Amino acid sequence: MASQPQTSRRPIAPQIVPGAEGIRTSIPIIVVCAILTLIGVAGFVAGIMTETEPHAWEAFLVNFLFFFSVAQGGLAISASFYLTQARWGGPGAYRLAESFYVFLPVAFVLFWVLFFGRAELWPWVTKPVAKNPTWLNTPFFFAREGFALLAMVALDLWFVRVSQRVDVRQWALSNDNITMPPDAIRRLAPAVAIVYAVVMSLVAFDLIMSLAPAWKSTLFGAFFFAGAFWSGIVAMALTAVVLRGRLPSGNLFTRDSIMHDLGKFTFAFSVFWAYTLFAQYIVIWYGDIPNETFFLVVRGAIIGGYTGFTPWRIPTWTVPVLVWVIPFCFLMGVKPKKTPAILGTVALLGLVGMWIERYVLVVPSLSPYRIPFNWIEAAVTLGFLGIFGLCAIPGLKLTIAAATAPQVLEAAEE
Amino acid sequence: MAAALEPINTNPTYADIDRGVHRIMDPPGLMFWAWIAFCAALVGIAAALWTRQIYVGLGVSGLRQPNMWAVYITNFVFWVGIAHSGTLISAILYLFRTRWRTAVYRLAETMTLFAVLTAGLFPLVHLGRVWNAYWLLPYPNERYLQPNFRSPLVWDAFAVSTYLTISATFLLMGLIPDVANARDAAKGWRRTFYAILSFGWRGTDEQWRHFQMMYLLLAGLATPLVISVHSVVSWDFAMAQLPGWHSTIFAPYFVAGAILSGVAMVLTLLIPMRRLLNLEELITPWHLDNLAKVVLLTSLIVSYSYITETFITWYSQDQYEVVTFHARYFGHYGPLFWLMVWGNCVFPLVLFSPRIRRSTVPLFIVTIFVNIGMWLERFVIIAGSLATNFNPSQWGIFHPSITEIMITVGSFAWFLMLFSLFARYLPIISMTELKEGIRWLRQSLRDDYYPSIK
Amino acid sequence: MSAEIELVGTFADEEGCVHGVEVLKRAGIAYRVFAPIPSEHLLHAIGRGLSPVRAIVLIGAITGVLTGVAITVGTSWEWNLIVGGKPVVSWPPFIIIMFELMILFGGLSAALSFFFFARMPQLDPIAGYSERFSADRFGIAVECDEADSARIEAMMREAGAEEIAHEDPRTVPVAH
Repeated sequence: MASQPQTSRRPIAPQIVPGAEGIRTSIPIIVVCAILTLIGVAGFVAGIMTETEPHAWEAFLVNFLFFFSVAQGGLAISASFYLTQARWGGPGAYRLAESFYVFLPVAFVLFWVLFFGRAELWPWVTKPVAKNPTWLNTPFFFAREGFALLAMVALDLWFVRVSQRVDVRQWALSNDNITMPPDAIRRLAPAVAIVYAVVMSLVAFDLIMSLAPAWKSTLFGAFFFAGAFWSGIVAMALTAVVLRGRLPSGNLFTRDSIMHDLGKFTFAFSVFWAYTLFAQYIVIWYGDIPNETFFLVVRGAIIGGYTGFTPWRIPTWTVPVLVWVIPFCFLMGVKPKKTPAILGTVALLGLVGMWIERYVLVVPSLSPYRIPFNWIEAAVTLGFLGIFGLCAIPGLKLTIAAATAPQVLEAAEE
Repeated sequence: MAAALEPINTNPTYADIDRGVHRIMDPPGLMFWAWIAFCAALVGIAAALWTRQIYVGLGVSGLRQPNMWAVYITNFVFWVGIAHSGTLISAILYLFRTRWRTAVYRLAETMTLFAVLTAGLFPLVHLGRVWNAYWLLPYPNERYLQPNFRSPLVWDAFAVSTYLTISATFLLMGLIPDVANARDAAKGWRRTFYAILSFGWRGTDEQWRHFQMMYLLLAGLATPLVISVHSVVSWDFAMAQLPGWHSTIFAPYFVAGAILSGVAMVLTLLIPMRRLLNLEELITPWHLDNLAKVVLLTSLIVSYSYITETFITWYSQDQYEVVTFHARYFGHYGPLFWLMVWGNCVFPLVLFSPRIRRSTVPLFIVTIFVNIGMWLERFVIIAGSLATNFNPSQWGIFHPSITEIMITVGSFAWFLMLFSLFARYLPIISMTELKEGIRWLRQSLRDDYYPSIK
Repeated sequence: MSAEIELVGTFADEEGCVHGVEVLKRAGIAYRVFAPIPSEHLLHAIGRGLSPVRAIVLIGAITGVLTGVAITVGTSWEWNLIVGGKPVVSWPPFIIIMFELMILFGGLSAALSFFFFARMPQLDPIAGYSERFSADRFGIAVECDEADSARIEAMMREAGAEEIAHEDPRTVPVAH
């Protein structure tokens, strides 16, 4: 428990934490992202033209879910920082969490592209489910998803705007008191958290679970948003490690305590994700009800008994290794958490693992017997990476400004 | 909000904190012993009825096919749930470096220990042949059987006994510096009593160095333990295929519910204690506010779980589940269900108002309803789902017998009796940690009681 | 060799105590600190590093996991009955037992190793201890020759000691 000496801090002028004006955008990064985007578009169009298998559409859905999770997870993290009055990183931590917020409205637009591929993805579009046609039909599905995503993205943007206000940044600078954050953000943070849980659960139930309409799992929504939350954390950790090397020395991310805290979050929430995974697995495994087990059997998750080998077993088992085992083993001690090389590698592997997780949740429902990954899917993935990169630029500029601002460096813990 | 009769000291020193807590440990008066006698009487009645049950058989309870689990298991799950928030407040919030935890965590930990002790009685109460209870332990035997490690009941035995051991250890270790303080201020038999419990602690730098590491690690181990124990308890039900029980969300849902009922119980105990023992200078509205926020958060998680379960039942249109849920809302136990929804989901929404979170009487009422609601939730899930299982010819409604009712009442009395004894004889507020966080205490005293003076 | 005495300096707050520790450390004098509260600041100033309790807890936790494997797999093999259609050695439930035993053994190792390294139960008295040090005062005790005492007293007063007591050293030496 840190007991700080009782020195008073001099009052900080309102022109704190400059905005992103002084930060130049790197041209090579824009060019690379633009090229990736073009590759993606080309691959997507090529995939649609050869309409035999839904490569383009499944890749689009997987990448939409993955990148949307990273961006939205970051916002949920920022909201939970406000809810717990976290000031260990000053405004820098909040900007870091919000780095990818510009992708959110773009994701909303990208969602509507899925409308045109609905027949290739969701079986109930062409063959209505006998048991519950009221829920799974095209008009209601897109109406509710559209409304939910619109509401959440609008709330997110409002939240980010308030979070960047001067008085909120001022509050984040001083760790010396028990004052609450300013009223506006105090009301928005719980709203973002609640809407996040509800909308992400809805996205999981609708976009992923309905790919296999016979299957159900009540924890699936929470499992999805736990994974999204962790995706946000490791994206933050990776960004911090990368920026640490590239920003002038003495920046916020060179502080041991910041690395330590990011490492602790990575560790703790990977365990939480593994918990939500195990909670579903043990109930389905023990009950042995065919309507529930088929989902795991197709993915090769159940070993032993009558299940034979399926190629899906390899990516399926890779996921918990990358998302849980590696962070657990490599981030247990204090020193590894503070070592940027270790934290960065674990974070990168974690992001890859979460991408494979989204893939394994979505694609086996469309292709139960073989892994259909080909150059079209790879191209679409690169395209999303490019778009995400371009959208990350405004948020990252603010993060860089916060990480190098003298006021933040003065106020942050050692 | 503060109706203090004397001005509140907004700048307490270490000595003030010591004085405030030592006062609680002064020899208690007649009222206290009358209260203990009352609790002991109820415990005595419960013990007598339990003895009768052992002698005559489980038929004296209301358990009949198909409801082979009802009030006793409800009590078990309820008390284990209460236990969890203690460890949450002391261990998990320690890891988060939360500032308001210091004044309330010892009380919560104490509550945990006695709640687990109470909970641990119920599997024994529920056994027909209590004298064979040791069969649960794995030791070489001639019965051609070992405990079935594939059974959730065996997981329960391991989880709950681990929890009892670790929470007792955590409480005992955390007590050491405080008990050393009490030892140095006490005389007579108390001094000897505290000296033994303090293990000779002198507060040297070497002792602190190892203590801090040990405490941090215990907190780090207790955190996953909290989550795992109530998940294991929930899996007693989720492993079955019974509609209403077989649901993947049970583990985090029960954990959230446990924390909800536990923090509500902390407030239920804390608010009267604060008034009766004049603790307004150590436990401020700031502490109550933050505890109330935890109640609100977990109440929202529980509401999310109810809604998700209902939605997925409707989504899947599984005929067995639809019938079970319909019976849950509109059947024989319907009124209990709606009372539960009121207590757990609807009424706690008033805690969105900061004014209510900081006022003792409304907060107390909310937490009473939460406690009632959470007890009913266990009952509705357990007895309600069993009542409408797969086979309609087996359906049957459970009615509690006087034995079960008095044992339930006795369990509350047992818990309150042990808790009250602890509170008067051992430091129920952590002097050490309160002193360590004295800056935040001073700030909250200023902000809460004299907000106009900045 | 002149008589050895115990100098016990009393400090009113944490800062003063930290200052005293730094002064004594710079002068290379052995000391013992008494504190009523845990203080990261103080432990950092003393600079003895992280406690070995960590390593013991790790060992304990691993032992717990292995014990869990041994109990569950061992007893299942000993009386290998197929129960509930589940394999004789079925990992998902066994993982739960392994986990609980990991926490149990880890927690007990933490407590026991703490007692061991802190040399508790401390049955003998410790030189320099006063009851104020569990209440609201910090203390630094230095065992030294009578001749040196004036110099060390001056150092402690300069660091902010409220009062300095001279005591007879008891059986327990100061050095760690």
